[in-house]
Amino acid sequence: MKKRLLAVLLTSAMAVTLFAGCGTPGSSDSGSGSSSDEKVFRYSTNTEPTTLDPSKGNCIPDNEIQHAITEGLVRNTGGEVTEGVADEWEVSEDGLTYTFHIRDDAKWSDGEPITANDFVYSWQRLMNPETASPYAFIGEYIKNGLAVETGEMDPSELGVVAQDDSTLVVTLEHPTAYFLSLIGSSGQFAPIRQDVVEEYGTDFAADAEKNVYSGPYVLTSSENQQWVFEPNEEYWDRDSIKLDRCELTYVAQQDTSLAMYEDGELDYVQLPSASVENYEGQDHAFLNGNVDFFYWNTASETCPALTNVNFRLALNYALDRNTYNTLVNNDLYAPTTGLCFSGLADAGSTWGENSKLQGYPLDGDADQAVEYLNTALSELGISSASDITLTITTSDNDSSKRQAECVQEMWVNTLGINVEINQVTYAEVLTRQQNSDYEVIWGGWGADYDDAYSYLEMFKSDSSLNRTGYANAEFDELLNASQTETDAAARSEMLHQAEQILIDEAAFLPQTEREVHYLINDSVEGVQFFHCALNIDWVYADFAE
Amino acid sequence: MAELNRDMFVIRGKDTARMESISRPSLSFWSDAWRRLRKNKSAIIGMLIVVIYAILAIFAPMVSGYTQSQMDAQARNEFISAAHWLGTDSMGRDMWTRIWMGARVSLSIGLISAVLNACVGAVIGGLCGYYGGKLDMIVMRIVDLLYGIPSLIITILVMMVLGKGVAPLIVAMCVVGWIGTCRFVRGEVYRLKEQEFVMAAKVMGIPDFVIIIRHIIPNIMGMLVTNLCMAIPGAIFQEAFLSYIGLGITPPDCSWGVICKEGIQFLRYYPHEILVPGFFICTTMLALNLLGNGLRDAVDPKLRGTD
Amino acid sequence: MLKYILKRVVAAILTILVLITVVFFLVRLMPGEPFTSAKLTPEVAENMRAYYGFDKPLIVQYIQYMGNLLQGDFGYSMKYTNRTVNDIIGETFPFSADLGIRALVLAVSIGLVLGIISARNRGKKIDFFCVIVAVLGTSIPDFIMGAVLQYFFGIEWGLLPVARYDGIEYTILPACALAFGTLASVSRIMRASMLEVTSQDYIKTARSKGVSDLRITVKHQIRNAIMPVMTIMGPTVASVLTGTFVIESIFAIPGMGKYYVESVSNNDYSMVLGMTVFYGIFLVLCNLIVDILYGVADPRVRIGER
Repeated sequence: MKKRLLAVLLTSAMAVTLFAGCGTPGSSDSGSGSSSDEKVFRYSTNTEPTTLDPSKGNCIPDNEIQHAITEGLVRNTGGEVTEGVADEWEVSEDGLTYTFHIRDDAKWSDGEPITANDFVYSWQRLMNPETASPYAFIGEYIKNGLAVETGEMDPSELGVVAQDDSTLVVTLEHPTAYFLSLIGSSGQFAPIRQDVVEEYGTDFAADAEKNVYSGPYVLTSSENQQWVFEPNEEYWDRDSIKLDRCELTYVAQQDTSLAMYEDGELDYVQLPSASVENYEGQDHAFLNGNVDFFYWNTASETCPALTNVNFRLALNYALDRNTYNTLVNNDLYAPTTGLCFSGLADAGSTWGENSKLQGYPLDGDADQAVEYLNTALSELGISSASDITLTITTSDNDSSKRQAECVQEMWVNTLGINVEINQVTYAEVLTRQQNSDYEVIWGGWGADYDDAYSYLEMFKSDSSLNRTGYANAEFDELLNASQTETDAAARSEMLHQAEQILIDEAAFLPQTEREVHYLINDSVEGVQFFHCALNIDWVYADFAE
Repeated sequence: MAELNRDMFVIRGKDTARMESISRPSLSFWSDAWRRLRKNKSAIIGMLIVVIYAILAIFAPMVSGYTQSQMDAQARNEFISAAHWLGTDSMGRDMWTRIWMGARVSLSIGLISAVLNACVGAVIGGLCGYYGGKLDMIVMRIVDLLYGIPSLIITILVMMVLGKGVAPLIVAMCVVGWIGTCRFVRGEVYRLKEQEFVMAAKVMGIPDFVIIIRHIIPNIMGMLVTNLCMAIPGAIFQEAFLSYIGLGITPPDCSWGVICKEGIQFLRYYPHEILVPGFFICTTMLALNLLGNGLRDAVDPKLRGTD
Repeated sequence: MLKYILKRVVAAILTILVLITVVFFLVRLMPGEPFTSAKLTPEVAENMRAYYGFDKPLIVQYIQYMGNLLQGDFGYSMKYTNRTVNDIIGETFPFSADLGIRALVLAVSIGLVLGIISARNRGKKIDFFCVIVAVLGTSIPDFIMGAVLQYFFGIEWGLLPVARYDGIEYTILPACALAFGTLASVSRIMRASMLEVTSQDYIKTARSKGVSDLRITVKHQIRNAIMPVMTIMGPTVASVLTGTFVIESIFAIPGMGKYYVESVSNNDYSMVLGMTVFYGIFLVLCNLIVDILYGVADPRVRIGER
């Protein structure tokens, strides 16, 4: 009898604990039952933003949020730089000193004025090693940036000074043509209020309530993988903001977001590549500035063949990029044989327009490839191609797997070498890149700022972003010269030359430029797309009446 | 009611010819099980399917005229046709070839790891359940521990040490795989050892070892086989999950799980890419289950001698 | 009995401590680093290591971690840089648990019924039908089940919401997808176990005493047959309640499953540990309850008497 009682007790205890959690969590008021005249823009991301702290943002979703809730000195909308918190600025002759004048009506969301000191504090915080910002390198353009970052100098020595509450003087390491564009699109340069950071300590910006906002929108909720934005009533340009609300939802799978779009729960969705052909005529597209390629270790010890230029050329000629694009990307992306994204701003035009790049044939050239291979084999003293084994390290996601599979198939068939694929987690891919611990590895790059330097820097021998071991004195020289050159046309010429060197020396395996296909609610207008630091910019979005 | 009297009965005498004959041949446990299994039609069908699939996995890729990694940009997502018996996938690879190449990997991983898990789990679980006490306490805490460590971590570390490939994958899956069976067998043994026939055996002085082998194992065999049949698809899909995060089979090799993963994206547009591997997985599982049910009945000591 | 439970609780605490220690050191052995990004420079990496205390000896880090843990502090995530692991668990667990409970109730109730029906009608058509259901349940993995349910019920027929969690109706599809596999194994085990029990002497005795079939099933068979089901339920309850990666990602449920898997592949050490501890406590608790119920459900098993 005792036992039965115990059984009843235990079972009911279990049942109670089980059902206690059953109160439909989070179903509070986020229901989309908004009244019809409210303008609510709803979209999703399939990469979860990692942080709401402006200084610590380190990926596109982070930055897209910052772009709405913060405002830097200037605002970059789709490549066009307009006034931000600063309404006037002067650049010195040598291009090294920028003086910004902060507008009088710039206010935080709590009504406090935005001052030059908020920028000084923010930028010093970004570079301060104690903050450990994952993206601190982006501030290395500022005078003494690197020294502060490595702890050699005190943050107060950073080249940013508040002359008074409304005047900010920024000194740069070298004339940086794209500086305004950079600070207009990167949330890391947004102002931060010292008193708010000190109030919350390490919990600063942990959720929507623990921050104040300088941007056109304020974040009202960041719960349950959903971020809700509402217009900032204190924003100086409040009249240009048309939306009543914006809801960003994290949806891991693109198929799911597509289903939600079709169900009317989203206004904007990126199409999964398998679905694009079924939405022909309804979809729109933009190039998001991501360039896919494989790195190879040009100083590889495990596969010495990779140190040979002709062998690397053979690998490049053996890739039929048009067929590759069909097989891997359903023909959606644009095959390329260059490194820099074609839509980048370049001396008044775009990089693609100005490019005279002599690349590899897009259809590949098997005969040429074999010729290069034979030259390489005799130079290397290897008797047969089958003595060479290459390992492609690729990450765990589906598209990187397809890339590797396709490249493997083409190399094996055309060149007769052995190719193995090593799939590892994404974290391991990145670690291996950083340590140059690979033969051939999946890679890709999206720019942080609207300039070819962002791509080319990866192959500069002294750059900390160089993952390949590639070193070429002529290339380095061109890049160094481009940093001090103030004439746009001459500078562009240098960068184009530098890219040509990479192609002639087959420093990597170029593949495609990514094209994003998306669906958008017909009545939505004013959404902008951009190819660096952020993709979608809905700040000025509106619904047609 | 009429009273019974002698007249109502007839003396039949005894049939000395038949009384010494044995009603059924004396059979060992296993030959009896085999005899019963053969009579079970659905079990035989199940066995046939498994055998046919195994044969196809060995020979079918040789006659298809394609290799598993051969791509064709002109023939992507094609439906079943004379050129491609099961259609092609999104990279224009022949599904027939891929299915049977995948079957080699999936069936061996599924069967080997499930059987291995069952054996290890049954032995350890049996010992724990039978002896209980300290041994049980310690092993069960280890089991809790192994359950608690994210299996991904264990898999990643095992693969890091042993390298990639089917064998390391099986080892990695077994490191944590046996604990399910172990817990389960332990529970069963816990229950059985208190039963009369075990008690009787103990009283008769039969050594523990023999009791476990002869009395307890046959009694849990049915449950074990059921468990085993369910573990196989589990193993096949665990491999797929591991492939998905880059820890399973590396291309150009593939497995059924990988083919499913690739095909599911095309559910809405090219359903054959998921239906084909789905069909083979389901029929294999059905076959294994029918066989398993048959085996269950065949090895059940309580059904011995019945037909 | 009480002494036994006490002993088990002490053992459980020890198990969890050992678990934390083992995982703490195991994650450090994994290939790759927590601070990775395509654009990570060595200078930044060094600052981040210092920020998370990685520049100290491992044993010091361990002591610090355990110290914080005793105060219930799991620390900051290394990927979601300004959120604590406690915060993330606190926010996501209710969703996972809610979904898990619904799925479990569904799986266990239907699974048991199917198992019982199938055992009572062994060899008949209905038994075969139950086998088919179970085979489908075990051989269709969750990522296919989820996608198929979502496609047909959510998109094609528009009967139910496709994703997210804004009310009861949102949980139906994911709970069904989640329940299917467990349902199948419960029904298979229940069937096998019922058959096992049916041939026991006490059932024969009851039957020869003329007890009705239904009464035998209800009073004797089920009670005895349910034990193996309970065994598999311990870990299942723990893992289903703490979230499932695949289903949650298909249905965009803001649950815990994602972090459990992702933290391992991101090498987010503090998150891995936090998730492990949380899950470990759940698991040990569930197993403890199962073991106690063992003694309660089966009159012949007397736990703690040896």
